Amino acid sequence: MYIRSIVFGVLAFGLIGIAASSAQDNRNLLASKESLYNNIYVYEDPPYVSMTFGHNRRIYTESMYNTHDDRDLPVDYTRFMTASLMYAKDIHSILEIGFGGGRTSWYLHRFLPNVPVTSIELDPAVLELAKKYFGIKEEPNFQVVNRDGRLFLSESKDRYDIILIDAYRGPFVPFHLLTKEFYQIVKDHLADGGVVAQNVEPSTMLFDSAVKTINAVFPQIDFYKASGNIVTVAYDGGERKAEDLAAAAAERDKAYGLRYHLSDMLAERRRIDIEGGQVIDPNAKVLTDDFAPVETLKNIERHNRKMP
Amino acid sequence: MTTPSRALVFTVYLCAFIVGGVLMGFEMLGSRYLFPYFGGSIGTWASLISIVLCALALGYFAGSAIVALYPTQKTIAVAILIAAAYLAFVPVSADDVMEQILHNIGDGAPATLIASTALLLVPLTLLGTFSPIAVSLLTHSTEQAGRVAGLVYGVSTIGNVFGTLLTTFTLIPAFGSRAITYIFAFTLAACAALLFLPFARRL
Repeated sequence: MYIRSIVFGVLAFGLIGIAASSAQDNRNLLASKESLYNNIYVYEDPPYVSMTFGHNRRIYTESMYNTHDDRDLPVDYTRFMTASLMYAKDIHSILEIGFGGGRTSWYLHRFLPNVPVTSIELDPAVLELAKKYFGIKEEPNFQVVNRDGRLFLSESKDRYDIILIDAYRGPFVPFHLLTKEFYQIVKDHLADGGVVAQNVEPSTMLFDSAVKTINAVFPQIDFYKASGNIVTVAYDGGERKAEDLAAAAAERDKAYGLRYHLSDMLAERRRIDIEGGQVIDPNAKVLTDDFAPVETLKNIERHNRKMP
Repeated sequence: MTTPSRALVFTVYLCAFIVGGVLMGFEMLGSRYLFPYFGGSIGTWASLISIVLCALALGYFAGSAIVALYPTQKTIAVAILIAAAYLAFVPVSADDVMEQILHNIGDGAPATLIASTALLLVPLTLLGTFSPIAVSLLTHSTEQAGRVAGLVYGVSTIGNVFGTLLTTFTLIPAFGSRAITYIFAFTLAACAALLFLPFARRL
């Protein structure tokens, strides 16, 4: 889980410097672990505990946990990931790709205890730290699987009403989770009336390609701006009417007693003309397994066609 | 021992560079073929790298055996041409092969090793035979053997570096993996053609 607000550590010498900087920003380093994929640092700043990945002398906050309140979602975009709840036709099962500190999936589990929530995480060390410091435990209807997200889906025979995608590794995006073929696999695992919500970082040209790629598989995309990040909600069929969504939001807010009201989120809903060239670069290419230069796109700063 | 012609010397070093470049370029490309099926884990990379090194070791051993029997540029030209043909076959067959492996073996270390083997072992073993045979082609006295071996491996390693960087920073951002594979196959075929030319004959 990658939050755009990067905390610039005052890091003189990379890893060694991180411990020193924590003293300066009043956060206490609880644990650090060099895993197969990341340098993970868990900081404490009561009541919050945050999981961060260190890359290039920068610290990327992946997840934030309120130790006094496990249903708090302190990070803006994680709330908007739950906007998917007002879109799905039914809610019988939820899948998340990219567990991180597990806040979003845990929130959903706590408010929808009867719905099985499965979350996939590639890095075993992330899971271990989430269980130790983020109040995560395996329970009935809450399952975490240590696996590559795409691999899990391609082998799974299950279908889900909601699939949440938030698989970032600090600044890095695994290309095989951002191609047309991948979204086709996602679509094949959606139940009738199912939706896909994804956290997308909007400051580089990768955003334009990601939107076009999602759109190549899902005809409809709704956008939610969440301080620095954008959450996309993609679905099949025709565009959802605002009044239908409002009705579903009101009904589900009430049924599940959601803390972050879907009705409030609806006000942030945006639709854009993806092919119009006003917001999304008309030259941006759909990413495929064959052609997906994610690192290069990530290095090109975005033009200033802003989201409405 | 006879003295190799200047044309032969130039051709062999040029091919050492290009073959070295394609070799590492194709290893980088291997990740693009494997990741969609087996995930982007560090295990996939370990499989790719170890199979490349296995192929090179096999190629060096095979090359040193072939040198005793057929120490001609035609031999390396044939080896490079077969590698080119194999590469040309990869884009159309890779998806089926990967799917079969994923379906039958799963996604653990055995599967990624087998997938890397299917993708890389044959062409890179063939390309690996190049250096030992090239050394023997360019050596005309025993005192020179060490110097020539150093030069051939040096040039080929610079080719490795060039191939890695060019593939990663220029080709992958500009073309699809399949197209790049065809570019590599064509480049190898051109190398083989160069080695078949009569001007590059031993004097």
